[in-house]
This record gives sequence, structure tokens and C-alpha cells, in this order.
Amino acid sequence: MVTIGVPRALLYYIYFPMWQRFLTDLGCKVVLSPPTNERILNLGTQATVDEVCAPVKVAFGHVLDLADKVDYVFVPRLVSVEPRAYICPKLMGLPDMVKHSGNKMPELLSPDVDLSRGKMSIARALSEARHTLGKSVWPTLRAFYLSLGENHKVEQRLMSGLTPEEAFHGTAWRRTPGVRMKVAVLGHPYNVYDPVLSMSLIEQLRRSGVDVVTAEMLPQHKIDVGLQGLSKELFWTLSKKVLGAGLYFVKTPREVDGIIVLSSFGCGLESLIADLLERNARRSEFPFMHLIGDEHSGEAGVVTRVEAFIDMVKGRSEHASNISSHGNLQHRPTSTT
Amino acid sequence: MQSKVYLGIDVGSVSTNVVASNASGEVLGTLYLKTQGQPILAIQQGIKEISALIPQDAEIVGVGTTGSGRMLAAAIVGADVVKNEITAHATATLRCVPGTRTILEIGGQDSKIIILNHGVVTDFAMNTVCAAGTGSFLDRQASRLGIPIEELGQLALNAKTPTRIAGRCAVFAESDMVHKQQVGHSTSDIVAGLCEALVRNYLNNVAKGKGIVSPVVFQGGVAANVGIRRAFEEALGLPVHVPEHYSVMGALGACYLAEQIKTVSTFRGFDVADADCQATGVSCTGCGNNCEVVQFSLNGEIVAFWGDRCGKYGHNRVVASN
Amino acid sequence: MRVTFPHMGTCSIALQALLENLGLDVVPPPPITGKTLAIGAQYSPECVCLPFKVNIGNYIEAAENGADTVIMAGGIGPCRFGYYAELQREILQDLGLNVNMLVLEPPLGMITEIWHKLSPLANGNSFAKVAEIFYFAWRLGKSLDHVEQTLNRLRAVEMLPGACDRIWNDTLRTVGKTRTFRELRESAQHIDWMIKTLPIRQQKPLKVGVVGEIYMLLEPKVNLEFEKRLGRMGIEVHRSLYLSDWVCEHLLPEPRAKLHARKVKRAAAPYLRGHVGGHGLETIGHSVLYANEGIDGIIQVLPLTCMPEIVAQSILPRISKDFSLPIMTLILDEHSGEAGLQTRLEAFVDMLHTRQAIATGVEHRAK
Repeated sequence: MVTIGVPRALLYYIYFPMWQRFLTDLGCKVVLSPPTNERILNLGTQATVDEVCAPVKVAFGHVLDLADKVDYVFVPRLVSVEPRAYICPKLMGLPDMVKHSGNKMPELLSPDVDLSRGKMSIARALSEARHTLGKSVWPTLRAFYLSLGENHKVEQRLMSGLTPEEAFHGTAWRRTPGVRMKVAVLGHPYNVYDPVLSMSLIEQLRRSGVDVVTAEMLPQHKIDVGLQGLSKELFWTLSKKVLGAGLYFVKTPREVDGIIVLSSFGCGLESLIADLLERNARRSEFPFMHLIGDEHSGEAGVVTRVEAFIDMVKGRSEHASNISSHGNLQHRPTSTT
Repeated sequence: MQSKVYLGIDVGSVSTNVVASNASGEVLGTLYLKTQGQPILAIQQGIKEISALIPQDAEIVGVGTTGSGRMLAAAIVGADVVKNEITAHATATLRCVPGTRTILEIGGQDSKIIILNHGVVTDFAMNTVCAAGTGSFLDRQASRLGIPIEELGQLALNAKTPTRIAGRCAVFAESDMVHKQQVGHSTSDIVAGLCEALVRNYLNNVAKGKGIVSPVVFQGGVAANVGIRRAFEEALGLPVHVPEHYSVMGALGACYLAEQIKTVSTFRGFDVADADCQATGVSCTGCGNNCEVVQFSLNGEIVAFWGDRCGKYGHNRVVASN
Repeated sequence: MRVTFPHMGTCSIALQALLENLGLDVVPPPPITGKTLAIGAQYSPECVCLPFKVNIGNYIEAAENGADTVIMAGGIGPCRFGYYAELQREILQDLGLNVNMLVLEPPLGMITEIWHKLSPLANGNSFAKVAEIFYFAWRLGKSLDHVEQTLNRLRAVEMLPGACDRIWNDTLRTVGKTRTFRELRESAQHIDWMIKTLPIRQQKPLKVGVVGEIYMLLEPKVNLEFEKRLGRMGIEVHRSLYLSDWVCEHLLPEPRAKLHARKVKRAAAPYLRGHVGGHGLETIGHSVLYANEGIDGIIQVLPLTCMPEIVAQSILPRISKDFSLPIMTLILDEHSGEAGLQTRLEAFVDMLHTRQAIATGVEHRAK
């Protein structure tokens, strides 16, 4: 039986149920890398140029972690998953970066997915995967169609407030009793849900009695509301979600009490999107904080900032007056940078 | 017989170093002076002090300059050769440690790595934009901890379990350090963590993908720090050699480069130490470029220009390099 | 309406000619200085790439001179450039500047569509007139490209130091200021004559190929004129992208350019399977083509955090190894200084000379 390694990184947080079903139905054994840890982070940091963003470094780490354990590592080249929008230049170049990084790398299973040029690219991607794995046409098509439904199955769980990890693996968290407030944590899924890159932000908020909402827990129609009125359609799928959710929250008061954007140092998409969202939040005096993390970040800095942010939001709702929503908090979240 | 002496001057943003060597390449004297934003004074001071370290009857047969202030130094002393610091460092190290394959250099404001093969530079890199892998980072943290920079290295060696200091930049590392202090880590553990952080930043930023091969030579002002040296040895798993004149290798390289010049030296003599040196910025209005041209005069006589883009003023070639 | 535009090397010269010929009131942004960078960095998001910051600096300085409309290009991603204008508009708005942004979105496609899109700029000119004005700007840009390309080669062997720089300054002063085909032809001929009579040394200089992000390649004030610096060190500079390449890609699809693009893509294929936005694929493709042509070294230039070029940067070491060709990456941001750049260039050139000396057994003598 062919074993395929799936790195617990990048778009795993969106497409894992689909990938898993597809690969298992094709008769492969799927091996998932462990949650990001210090060792994986270090492996990745050593294998990449310094300029690459932390999520890509982490992804390299996961690929290397899987290297000796599997026949192939699944690193699809995801160019685009919808018309007129892309994923991100670095993810588009990821398989090539892995292949030519100068490290000893495992065999990759990396079909091209580019829906910006129509659905035919799926056929090409499937045939590529099929040839690599030595499968025939019909089982491949069958596995593909069955896998399409998988993501809908976890949707319900996501909407109920579970993170993708919890939704995929059927774990749940227990609400801490006490003061209830709700904060939106927005960012690329591979930052928000990665235990190291997010510096356990969601855990930390929940422990402090805060309910967390992310863009993945929001139905598409609400995100579309947020995106209405943009002067130009966004051409990044991931940013559409972040900005759409953010603008929706800003436009719909009382849905959440504050917004935290978590991004990586050097992320090109977020350098524009977080700023755009911040400007909108500021105009409506909506509590907003931007945390920028990278592979060097310490948890200490985040703890301080998050606590201060919660206090600020609490203070605002208690007084319900015009306290500035943008103290010195959002401007330079230094050591997390 | 008069002894022949070569001078090498390395003008950096933090320090100005001067070295004198004799015909067989032996070092006669070295100087390490703070530039303190006044390179002209530092160069003159260096010339004055070095003259006391060489034989009275010595004849200066060649002068080389290097470092970011190499043009200025060349104009003042009348240098025979003006070279960038990568080439200068490589030249010096190869003479001191023949067969060197890797040079790690950490100075005040920059850090570099030079890869050599068969005595030839085959690759090099310098720090990109941040200063987290340089000496000023260490200086700053030492002063924040209230430890003299000279004792930092020894203190690091006493550490039992070095703390992990997070942070890409000096500013961020600082806030993490404050946190670690408050949590109660010992100073020596923090200092050792600091050394490891600097080495980690250096290896991840400057030395990334450079194939570090033994013999490895570590030089520059920071090489004085035994803690950093040990952190390098641990991170690389290779012995790291620190040459005798580690802090003035650039200037020494300039000396050796000057040896290769066969013509009569253009050295202006030790009197320049007391000469009236003036560097004035002139805004040239000759064309739309509006270049800031530096006009350099010695005792009231204009001897050099640089900074022009069009070449109207002699195109930086005030000092014949060959 | 008083229009302005961001600087981008020779591109802004052609654009200025275009707008002036349309009879618009043009307020060109003041030349880029340290102050421009400082203003731009102050009002831009911290982690955004350098061209964005320079744009903002240009807009603000032009607005101070009375400009009220900014002409800017858009894009369809995935490079950040395509969404620049949207955020820039908000920044100007938050600053309280009364500036309108006119964004030209590619692909403009059919001629009629271009016409429709540009009608606010046409300023009452007839369709034929506007087409002619566009064609003139295109020719002007091509002439500038031609001169720049030639000088990048000749600077290495000029007999009189600075002669090529003087010709370039003359070009900007004469050719750059022309507004009619006749003027353009005459001054271009004059410059051609100056180039032909330029005394040069008969020798074969080392050749360096320059690849990377297009704004950084085109804007000399931002790239600290590294090409001229290389030329003065006796290096023949071959740049992979010129203004006309950018126009072809962003505004007018030209068949010949398409053909070239295919060649570049094919060359890149073993290293990079498809486009990654910006000029990442071109950087890889051109590097391979240069390597095959026997170039002596390659320099990649990118602004800090540039996504497509980081992908290329990650792959270039492999090309360097496969072709045993030195490749240096220069990353620039608003803090980059001339001294650091000069040292890196000199050391790179020294390294190339030593390699050549070993290869040919002849000692190098400095220019």
C-alpha cells in the first residue's frame, strides 16, 4: 500500500477532509505529520531562505518530518481555487521551492490545481495524481467525486464554533464559565490554527473566558456581506475571507466585541489587507488589534497584548462610552513581530 | 638598511583600525580606535599613533584602505590601493590561516560570511537589513543588563541552561529578555541565550545555505567574545578558529593588498596627521542629478572629489589604484 | 483636473509625454529623494513592499504641488501591485488629501474598451488623435529603452570615465522632453551619433545579467543606480526587463512579447512549473537563459518581502549550482544605504574577476 504524508500546514486547515477521503478511497494510507512543534519549526527554518514567511518555513519542516516515513508527501501546487482569484505567490511556488531547496527532499505528489483558467485543470491534476500513484481512471474519478462532499460534512461543526482541528478530528473544548465576550480572530488559517505560529492565541482567549469566532466559522453569505462595497474585487481567496469577515463584523455591531488580526511577518497579502481592515475598524471606532508573528516570536509578548486587549474591550462594554478603541495597542505589536 | 613598512587602514562606522606590517608580512603594530562619527579625526589620530609603533627609519612603501570610509581614508593618506572589506578580510585571513574555507565576520554594524575554495572567494553574503546579527546588538543588550561588554563572553560560559531568547530584531529580543529576567532566569543563562540568539540570527540570515566547511575562522570585533565563539562551535559542530589579530583583519588585509602594488607609493607622509583636512559637501548644479559632491581639501588645497554621478570631477579616480 | 503619476524610471517620462500631449494639466511628482522615501514609509503599512511606499511619497509630494488626480495602473494578481491603488486611495483619503485616483486596470483588451476606459483622459481629442498620442508615447519609451540598453553595455568600455552617464543625461534632457515624432527622430539621431562616436576600449568586459522585480530594476533613484555602479567597475550590464516589457504586460498585449514570454517560461520550466505572480517566473527564466548564453554572473534585485521574488530567490541557489554561476541577491528597502551596496557590488565583481583569472590563467588588471 502506498503511504502518503500530508503536512499539517498551510491549506491542510481547509482541505484536509477532502484530501484524506480522496487519498484513502484511492487505496493509499494517509500519514499526517504531528502538530507543529519546536523541532519542526527548526527543521523548516534551516531549510529555507530567511526571507520566506514563517508558515512556509513550518510547511518545509512538516515535509522534512514526513520524509522518511512515507512514499510520497502531498504538496499540491494550489494556484487558484476559484475564478479570478489566486492563493498566494509563495504557495504557488511551494513545490518548486521544496524541490530545489538543496536539501534532501522526499518524493512529492504535487498536482497542479488552477481553477482561474476553468475547471479543466482539475482533470489534469487528477490525471497527474493518478499517474504518480499508478491508479486507473474510474477509481480516481469516483474518489474525487466522493471527496467533494467531505468538506460540507465538517462545515456544520465549524459553524458551531469548533476550529478545523477540532472539527476534523472530533475533539471538542469545554467552555470556561464566567464573563462572556466574543472576539473575532482573523488571519490565514495556517496562522490562526497552528499551535506555534498562533502562539496558542485561540486557547489563550478561550481560557480567559472569551468565545472565539474565526472566518472559517462564518457562513459564506455573511462574508459576502462584508465584501460588498469594495471598490475592486480582491484577487486572493484567503484575503477575501479575512477582509470579508472583518468588514462584516465592523458593519454588524454586537456580533463580536473586537477583532484581532494575526499575520506573519513578511506576508504580502496581509500587509495590505490588515491595514485596509484596520482603517475601516478605526473609522467606526471598532476595537482592533494586529498581531504580527514569525518564527522567532515569544509567547510572552502575545500574552501581554491579548490581556490588555481583553481589558480594553471589557472596559469599553462596561462604560459603553467613547473610550478610544485604539490605544497604543494596535500600532506596533513589537516583540510578536 | 631602511626597513620597508606597509600600512593598512580600515574605516568602519564603529571603529577605525590601523595596522603596520613589514616586508615579510609580520605585524609591527595594530590600533583599534572608535570612529565616533568623525572619521577624519580618527584616521589622523590613527596615522599619528601608528608612526610611534614602527621603526624610526622605516620607509612606507605601500598603503591600503578599506571599509565604508575607504575613499576618505585614501584621500587623506594618499593610498596605493582602495579595496572593499570582503576582499580585504579574505586576503588577511588566507595569510594568517592558510587553507581557510569559511570566514565568519561580525563587526559593529555589519556581519558577513565569506566562503573560499583553493584560496579564492567563491561566495559571500552580508546581513540584509536588520542588525540582530551584529556587534551593536550585543553592545546594547550588555549595557541594558549592566555588564561590561568584555565580561559578557566569560559570563556566558558559566551558564548551566541557556535561556532561549526569541526575536528577529534587537528591539524584540530586548522585550523577550526583560520577560525572561522577570521570570527569574539567572543572568549568565540569559547572556548565554543572547549569544545563542545572535549566532542563530547570523546563521539563519547571513550564512543561510552557504555550506560552511572547516577550517572556520571567526573574526571581527565580536570574536573577542568567547561565549559567541562557543555558541558557533556548538551550532556548527566544527572547531572555530579566532586569529591573533581578529579585530583588525580588514586593515591587515589592506596592508597585504598594498604589498602587491609594485609602483612607488603615493603615501603623503605622516605629516597628514596634523594637516588641515576639510571635506565639504557641494551641491553640483551641472545637471538634473543635483549630486552631493564631496570636495576634499588638504591644507587648503583641493585634492579629491567623490560622489558625482557623471564623472565630471574625475570619477572617483583620485587615487590611482593600479 | 491636474494629473500626476508615480515615478518608475523611464516609464514616467513616456507617461508624462502622453498626458501632456493629451492636453492635460500635468503635475509631475518631484524627483525621488530621501524625503520621498521617508514620507512614503511614514504613511504606508510597515510590511508593505518598497514600491508602494515610494508611490505614496510621490503622491503626497505631487499633491503639495497642486495635483488632484493620480494615474495608476492596476492588476489582476497575485502580486500585491494589483491591489496597491485600492489601499493607496484609502491612505490618501485618511490623510485628508483631496486626490482622486484613476486606476487603469488590465487587460484593456479591445481598442474600443481602451477608448471607453480612457475617455475621461481623452480630453476632447478624437479617437485617431488619441491613438497617435499613445503611439508616440510608446515610441518615446522604446527610444529611451534602446539608449539605456546600449549604454549599460558601453559603460564598461568607455574611454573617458563618465562619458556614458553624460550621454544618458543628455538623452533625458533632449529625447525625454520631445513631444512630436519629428523632435523625437531628430534628438534620437543626435544621441545615436553621440553613441557611435563614443571612444571605447577594445576589450571584452565581464558580463553580468540583472534580474528581479521590475520596479526596482526600472527606478534608478530607488535601486541606488547599481547598474551604473557596475558599469563604472567595468562590467557590461544586461538587464532582463525594460519599460516596454512592463507596458506590454500591463497595458498592451503585443504578439512579439508573447513569443518571448513563452521562451522565458520554457527556460524556467525545469525549476519553476508556472507563474507565481509579478516577475518571479521571468527571474528564473532569464537567469537560465543568461546562464546558457555564457554570462559571468547574475544579480537579483528585489524589495524586502516581495512574494514572487522570494520564490525565485529560493530557487536561484540551485541554478547557481547547476550552472556553476555566481548569483547574488540584493534586497533593498527604505533603509538601504549606498555604502553597503557599493561594498557588495565590488566584492561580487572582485569574485568574478578572480574566477575569470583562474579560468583563463591571466591576471586581472583593474579598469
